[in-house]
Amino acid sequence: MEEGGKAALSKIAPKELVLSPAKIVKSENMTEIEKHLELEFQDKDYAKGFVYKPGQFVEVSVMGVGEAPISICAARKNPDILELCVRRVGRVTNAIHRLKVGDLLWIRGPYGNGFPMEKMEGSNLLLVGGGLGIAPLRGVLQHALMNREKYGEILVLYGIRCYTAMLFRDEFLHLFYEGDKQNVKFYLSYEDSSDKACYELACERSDRCMSGVVTKLFQLMKISAEDTYAVICGPPIMYKFVVKELLQRNFSPKQIYMTLERRMKCGVGKCGHCIIGSGSNIKYVCKDGPVFTYWDALNTKGMI
Amino acid sequence: MAKPKLGIFSLTGCGGDQLMILNMENELLDLLSYFEIKDFQEGSSYHEDVELDIALVEGSVSTETDLKRLKEIREKSKTLIALGDCAIGGCVQAMRNGQMSMAERMKKVYGVEEDYYDVLEPKGLSAHVKVDLEIPGCPIEKTEIFRAITSLLHGDLPETIDYPVCVECKLNGYPCVLVEKGMPCLGPLTTAGCDARCPGLGLDCIGCRGPIPDEANAAAELDVLLEKGYDEKYIINRLRFFGGNFEDIQKLTKKISERRNKTEGNE
Amino acid sequence: MYKKLAKTEFPRFFEGLGNLGKVYGPVNIEGSTYEFREVQSPEEMDLKYTRTMIPPKKFFLGTKETMYTFDEEKAVYTPAIGKQEKTIIFGIHACDIHALKLLDKVYMDELMDLFYTMKRRNTILIGISCHPDEYCFCKSMGTSYATDGFDLFLHELSDGYFVRVGSEKGHQIIEANKPLFIDADEKDVEEFKMNEKKRLEEFNLELNVLGLQDMLDLAYESPVWQETADECFGCGTCNLTCPTCRCYDVVDYVGLDLKTGERVRRWDSCMLRKHGLVAGGLNFRPTRTERLRNRFNCKGSLTEGMLNCVGCGRCTVYCPAEINFVEVMKKVIGEL
Repeated sequence: MEEGGKAALSKIAPKELVLSPAKIVKSENMTEIEKHLELEFQDKDYAKGFVYKPGQFVEVSVMGVGEAPISICAARKNPDILELCVRRVGRVTNAIHRLKVGDLLWIRGPYGNGFPMEKMEGSNLLLVGGGLGIAPLRGVLQHALMNREKYGEILVLYGIRCYTAMLFRDEFLHLFYEGDKQNVKFYLSYEDSSDKACYELACERSDRCMSGVVTKLFQLMKISAEDTYAVICGPPIMYKFVVKELLQRNFSPKQIYMTLERRMKCGVGKCGHCIIGSGSNIKYVCKDGPVFTYWDALNTKGMI
Repeated sequence: MAKPKLGIFSLTGCGGDQLMILNMENELLDLLSYFEIKDFQEGSSYHEDVELDIALVEGSVSTETDLKRLKEIREKSKTLIALGDCAIGGCVQAMRNGQMSMAERMKKVYGVEEDYYDVLEPKGLSAHVKVDLEIPGCPIEKTEIFRAITSLLHGDLPETIDYPVCVECKLNGYPCVLVEKGMPCLGPLTTAGCDARCPGLGLDCIGCRGPIPDEANAAAELDVLLEKGYDEKYIINRLRFFGGNFEDIQKLTKKISERRNKTEGNE
Repeated sequence: MYKKLAKTEFPRFFEGLGNLGKVYGPVNIEGSTYEFREVQSPEEMDLKYTRTMIPPKKFFLGTKETMYTFDEEKAVYTPAIGKQEKTIIFGIHACDIHALKLLDKVYMDELMDLFYTMKRRNTILIGISCHPDEYCFCKSMGTSYATDGFDLFLHELSDGYFVRVGSEKGHQIIEANKPLFIDADEKDVEEFKMNEKKRLEEFNLELNVLGLQDMLDLAYESPVWQETADECFGCGTCNLTCPTCRCYDVVDYVGLDLKTGERVRRWDSCMLRKHGLVAGGLNFRPTRTERLRNRFNCKGSLTEGMLNCVGCGRCTVYCPAEINFVEVMKKVIGEL
């Protein structure tokens, strides 16, 4: 590198690694621990090039605190706006929760492979989400609704702990009641059987809501594995149980997509924390995933 | 915005951690100016009994008086930080734990049957109350307390270190005194944060920042040092010096003393 | 391209390198511990060294390096790219050259890391031939000889060095020092070939890597992982001394004004507890057994067709628990 090399090299630095400021334009407490944020990129050119798919994630920096991976929770509608759903759980996410509308965050990304929305065109979608896992699935759902004619029936299975822990409540309750008009069947399960509000929903629509874990909802719905892709996201413990239900219903391992959580510091397959697998098949969740098929899981040790 | 109220307290210990705070000469005034200081025994005789945002507590809980005091501090503090080894794992005071009762000890040392003191088995704060953060060291490191305080002022819980001294030795490129010279270095067990000061000077780590809780492999250290020709009792004492309350070291001590008693019994 | 540098010309050649930048070479710092340090003269170096404790990755992926400084009032992160110094790494061995080729793939070819690339591009690598000790198994890993990945490589001859030119930069160095280099004659070539043959015979340690990846898959539930983990400190020395290990962690520190500070990255190790820990307390590799298994699987795996181990022996030599990498690998795959 000769004279002027520094400037030249800064220019060729990949845009995916640039920290780009984004202003919080909307911040809503959805639950006691989860916030829904809308961020507006300050650099409009950057925003234009920031093209993402459902299931991808970003690294979010809070100045003076650190950086954390957060999945994008919406399909790309307005290029200037990025939607995130943030659970207050660690140092960075707690700091994000402290911020107010007008404050800045810094974004890098988008990272990961995302869901194969094109591949799933022409098929029915079965989305199974547990807790915060519904956030990336919301992007899939929005994408499918924006391109409604490209997808068949959409079934959403959402497992929550209790009514107050329900994310995007207005949106999802609307789909719960009115989804059928768009050929969307929205099912809800709740773990706290003493939860009154959920109990009322279950009484009202016993065909769509019941108490228990999310896999219980399989009892309520009819599904043919043919022409259907399943898309799962939830706490790590959930995958095995959902997959079991799907396999019983003749889903093939490659018809099952899931997105995984791991420690991801860099987001681009360098820092090494999200490594999984064994000798012949090592994967970095941030780069090779976070979306994998169940077939991948069968071939990768320690994936689920 | 009102300044956060800070209290710095001592239980049983040498007071060295407070001294380290006072030793931060270049930053001390700026740093403390962010707070209203309501208690700082070693820094000022001023003291005010009020609710606190942050309490820094050094020293172990070694007496009933300590325990009462700790509970009072916990009660009135939003964030309680254990400062130094004494407040984390009892430090050197804990060497005696599990060895003999206080009555026996009084007899052995003073030759009297009486038990004058309200002593407890020395333990860290978390054995008695909820602790929000632990900052190890005997004494604490200036950099670490500085980072912890700035981080808290910024609104965040500080990053904690739970990797061993070996990491810092390698990052600094220090030759390994254990591998290279066969010295009885406790670096592989000991919580880093000292920037491997002793190995950097060619000295073996004596473990002054305490074993990494639930992680340090004390049995492996014993094996390695035995193989290097060190006496078993010496190794155990060395491990107990700063790790008396550490579960694995207690187990190891017990196993070995049982085995010894057995062999002595057989003789 | 091949040239010859006579031993008598070596000091002048070395002196000339100083004009190109800071020269780092293998220096004995204590006992059998070597380190790449800045050197002014050839006498400071020990070119017969076997391995440095800390591999040359330290030049490109700093042990602790500031990535950004930030200022909350100005609301900016500034990449910490200072003045780039030209660096000459003198006396790098073939195994370490192979390791850098691997790191280059990860840090430069795929989504370029600015901090690594800046330093890497400002560096000249001059390799030197070596002889194995009882811990070297680079021959088995196919890394005992380097045909590329350096600028110049000096193969020792009885009266000089048989110099392999590996890049245009290397060629420029030769050109700039033209009077010092002569064409190698047939005798030199014969000697070089003979030396290489002899060197291969010096290796005592072998590890069969054919099918190693599958063997590791099959050994996933092997009791050897737990047995080894029982001896292991989980101290990370193996990773930190490994020339191909490249995990890093990132921490932000805020300064006394609570407004400015820096984002720092430092080498990390997959043997440390927090490596697989996510916010909220879930650890994807909670036990030392799982971490150790992961490490061996990673080392035995391929990245872009290259093995993640170059057989330098550092992890064995510097392990405080005296865990022998090759022995564990052999036990795991059933060869011991």
